[in-house]
Amino acid sequence: MRDKWFIGFVYVFVTVFAVFCFLPFWMVFVDSFATESGLREKGFHLFPTEFSLDAYTFLFSGGQVYSSYAVSVTVTAIGTIGAMIVSSSYAYVLAHRKVKYRNILSFLTYFTMLFGAGLVGFYMLIANWLGLKDTIWALILPYLLNPFYVFIMVSYFRDIPYELNEAALIDGCGEIRTFVRIILPIAKPVLATVGLFYALQYWNDWWLALLFVDDYRLHPLQIMIRQLVSNLNVQSYIAGSSTSYTVTIPSTGIQLATVCITIGPIIALYPILQRYYTKGLTIGAVKG
Amino acid sequence: MSEANVEMEDGQEEGEPVVRQSNCETIERKGEITEMVNELAKNRQLYLLAVPGLLFLLIFAYVPMFGHVIAFKKFNSLKGLWGSEWVGLDNFKFFFMGKDWITVTFNTIFLNSLFIVFGIGLAVVLAIFLNEMRSVLYKRLMQSAIFMPYFISWVVVSMMALAVLGTTEGLLNRTLEALGFERVAWYSTPEAWPAILTAIYVWKTSGYYSIIFLAAIAAIPPDYYESALIDGASRLRMIFHITLPLIRKTMMVLVLLAVGRIFYGDFGMVYGIVGDNGMLFSTTDIIDTYSYRALRQLGNFGMASAIVLYQSFMGLMTIVMFNWIVRRIDRDSAIF
Repeated sequence: MRDKWFIGFVYVFVTVFAVFCFLPFWMVFVDSFATESGLREKGFHLFPTEFSLDAYTFLFSGGQVYSSYAVSVTVTAIGTIGAMIVSSSYAYVLAHRKVKYRNILSFLTYFTMLFGAGLVGFYMLIANWLGLKDTIWALILPYLLNPFYVFIMVSYFRDIPYELNEAALIDGCGEIRTFVRIILPIAKPVLATVGLFYALQYWNDWWLALLFVDDYRLHPLQIMIRQLVSNLNVQSYIAGSSTSYTVTIPSTGIQLATVCITIGPIIALYPILQRYYTKGLTIGAVKG
Repeated sequence: MSEANVEMEDGQEEGEPVVRQSNCETIERKGEITEMVNELAKNRQLYLLAVPGLLFLLIFAYVPMFGHVIAFKKFNSLKGLWGSEWVGLDNFKFFFMGKDWITVTFNTIFLNSLFIVFGIGLAVVLAIFLNEMRSVLYKRLMQSAIFMPYFISWVVVSMMALAVLGTTEGLLNRTLEALGFERVAWYSTPEAWPAILTAIYVWKTSGYYSIIFLAAIAAIPPDYYESALIDGASRLRMIFHITLPLIRKTMMVLVLLAVGRIFYGDFGMVYGIVGDNGMLFSTTDIIDTYSYRALRQLGNFGMASAIVLYQSFMGLMTIVMFNWIVRRIDRDSAIF
């Protein structure tokens, strides 16, 4: 009897929380199709009462959304591939029992998690010493290796039976070839998980762009959203020129529409993302 | 490259007997170097694989550490890092003379503490509750909804926050009005923001943490529950006497990891949501946003650097102290 009440409470509690988690997504989606006057009148609302494509039409009439999308896609694609190459080969070495200095390498990696260089040194490195300000590399290079993700891969590589390496070695396979031809195909599950971790990090990042990119042509989507909220001249920003329209701009609607197209790919890939993330987190949790 | 290594190695081996007579220490050193060269030559393919990663760490993690030097200099961008003149502790004096450092330190620790307690607390509750659900499909649906906010950026979250909390058009104020209450100007009410930020944090991360706890719960042997069931234990009793004690270690690990980073605020979150809204600084300004403004808006490299060094130092101290405490309680859980 008591259990019944408890289970009832469990279902109500979880359902209410889940609804709150989902509501903002729903609201942004619904209201991106509202008219500007409707938004002003009724405020943000949850039930669609009107359907207008004003915001999307306006958004796609200018050049900014295309260039921002291109920047975000490029950074995510190049970044994820680069990060996987750098991180997986590095993790493999940390996990390899023949490497005598792997503990030193692990410590060097781990130490960066404990004692950071901090904002100023990092800023000077990118802006002054490497001269990467207002280049796409400033958005890609700093995330090529994440110690945390490296250690996830290390724990996976360690569990691959060493006999495989020995067999490959006997067959005259060099270490690099063994890694590329034998180990990487076996490690596909962890590579997929970590690859998605990196892709999401690149797609969602706005910190690097905030620090290093002033040129609007290099603004990724995340910065574009921010500019739409803070920029007074939304019209010229969207259009990329100072062409003036006499119509009123659906500025709130444009913000919401940009949010929708930014999280669109994530929502579309959500089932895959969720599955691999759950897997990756479970590996991490069981290993401690 | 390999040939050069072998040559060097040979050279050293020949030279060794001569050195042995003169100085013991150099021999040892030479021996170590030979050994190292041997190791590098033997596994050169493997070390080659590590080169890109090592280079990355060197350039992007270790070289910027020199930036801390600026904390002791009057930085002049024309003269560069090494050319600028030393000013001793002036930058620190400037930072610690004002009251801001107390505010930002307090806010950083206070907000992070709220995040740890409520973030992990609610995640445990959710994981246990999800685990109690018998309908697999419904459970999966709920889990999908709860995990969703984890995948979006703080910029998007800030837009959603604006849509909910906006003064005239926000959903919350519209709802309050409909229920006959007064509007609240949330973006100029600093007292409300520790609670608001905590709610947003919990909203965004509880799905993530609850998955970790669900994994820990799944690892509990089912016979514990079976025997408890035979003894006639209620669901609640099983939760308190089986589930919670057995996931305590996972809880401890997550809490420790978070406490170790208590001096590091989430810049993306706070700057994304609060931005440059000075009205809210009294309760939301953290070390990370403060040093960012010092750097990017005031252009004060020296002070920004002093703040960052203070943060890095305190962060390191926290971890070392914590590790020491953990070691005394439970050696296995210690980090190093």
